[in-house]
Amino acid sequence: MSEIAEAVRDGVLPGRVWMYSNYHCNLACVYCITDSAPGVARRELPRERMLGIAYEALALGFTALGVTGGEPFLQSWMPGLVAELSEILPVVALSNATLFTGERLEAMRVLSGRRAQVQVSLDRPDPEANDGHRARENFRKVVEAIPRLIDRGVGVRLASTVDEQDAEEREELCALHRSLGIADEDHIVRPIVHRGRAAQHDMGQPATSDNLEPELTITADGAFWSPFGPSVQDGRLDLDLLVTRTTAPLETPARALLRLVEGRPPGDDARRNIR
Amino acid sequence: MSVVNLVDGEDAPLLTRPYFEHGDPGPIVAALAQVPELLEVALPFISAVLGASSIDLRTKELVILRTSVRLECRYCVQSHTPVALDSGVSRAEVDALRGRESCAAAFADPRARALVDWVDALAGGVGTVDASLTATMQECFQEHEIVELALLVGATMMLNRFCTGLELPTAPATLERLASEGFE
Repeated sequence: MSEIAEAVRDGVLPGRVWMYSNYHCNLACVYCITDSAPGVARRELPRERMLGIAYEALALGFTALGVTGGEPFLQSWMPGLVAELSEILPVVALSNATLFTGERLEAMRVLSGRRAQVQVSLDRPDPEANDGHRARENFRKVVEAIPRLIDRGVGVRLASTVDEQDAEEREELCALHRSLGIADEDHIVRPIVHRGRAAQHDMGQPATSDNLEPELTITADGAFWSPFGPSVQDGRLDLDLLVTRTTAPLETPARALLRLVEGRPPGDDARRNIR
Repeated sequence: MSVVNLVDGEDAPLLTRPYFEHGDPGPIVAALAQVPELLEVALPFISAVLGASSIDLRTKELVILRTSVRLECRYCVQSHTPVALDSGVSRAEVDALRGRESCAAAFADPRARALVDWVDALAGGVGTVDASLTATMQECFQEHEIVELALLVGATMMLNRFCTGLELPTAPATLERLASEGFE
């Protein structure tokens, strides 16, 4: 068993490897950590590279995959790729769910019955409050898209990103997701993170390696400590949670991440290759 | 203004943070921090080759400064001029290494003269080194010293091109020291 597999088995490293498929998005949410919007630099991971990462992750002993962005489903090939990834490891793909109409919606049928879930963002039960942070008509589009996805056999979970939410509003939100067909265990509530555009708006909680899980995250710019790591401000990538620029082989950043987690000195992760 | 963003302590990637713990680590580290896995291997190498070793610091700084002059690396020449002076290289010798005076006149010690000539051939030329220069080096230095000095020339040349290519800025304190000593 590899050192990484042991670390995952023992809970030293989380089992999921995240991939940033792209940074561009059809929305421009006020708290977006990656400063994503329609016109930004795409920073795409090629489809074949994402498949390669999945195979390497499996071989190293990771147990799950995550795909995030940007809006991953702006890539027309994303449903097919997620289906392929789910053949390798269970996968969750994040989406704002505002694109799932017409052909894009029908293309999601490929995920039916697979080890794949689409994690949809919806923050608040009040359309006006929700749309104020995300986009006009966002609430309507999302509550329409969720049942359509479920009808087509797609596993859906819901993520709500909020700074504060009282019990009454939380219960209202939960009643809504239950009515849309999403069970309580598939609803995640997470805080706004003070990075990227959220930091520009002085929103959210600080996020550092001290309070973020060390989830190996691969982007076109390198490997990061967490999917909250590769944030962008004013078009410039934050480096404070960068682990390595090298992402292939995946073993390089995985070992560096493990070394950071275990507080080991440089070189301790190197193979003994003196001949 | 350098060609690339020089990472500061607040934005330092995780693996590079130890290098920023005691303040500004200088522009070479700040540039290398863009690629943490390279910084981790490059800096110990650079420190081992350029730092204290079995060869005295005066001899090493003589090699570093002369190589940097031959490669016309502004950053390295400016940065290592005060280091050379502080390592026992005389003002007249530094002037000669920087091309202001004749090295033959400045270095009375034949061992030092042989070294400067050999560095000139290695850092300033291409192809094989003249056999007579090599033979003189072999008379003046032991084999392990020649190995180390050759690596020192090579590592300095690497840094010369790195610093020149990235247009790394010389520290203000170094520029003040150079001005006070009458150097550019």
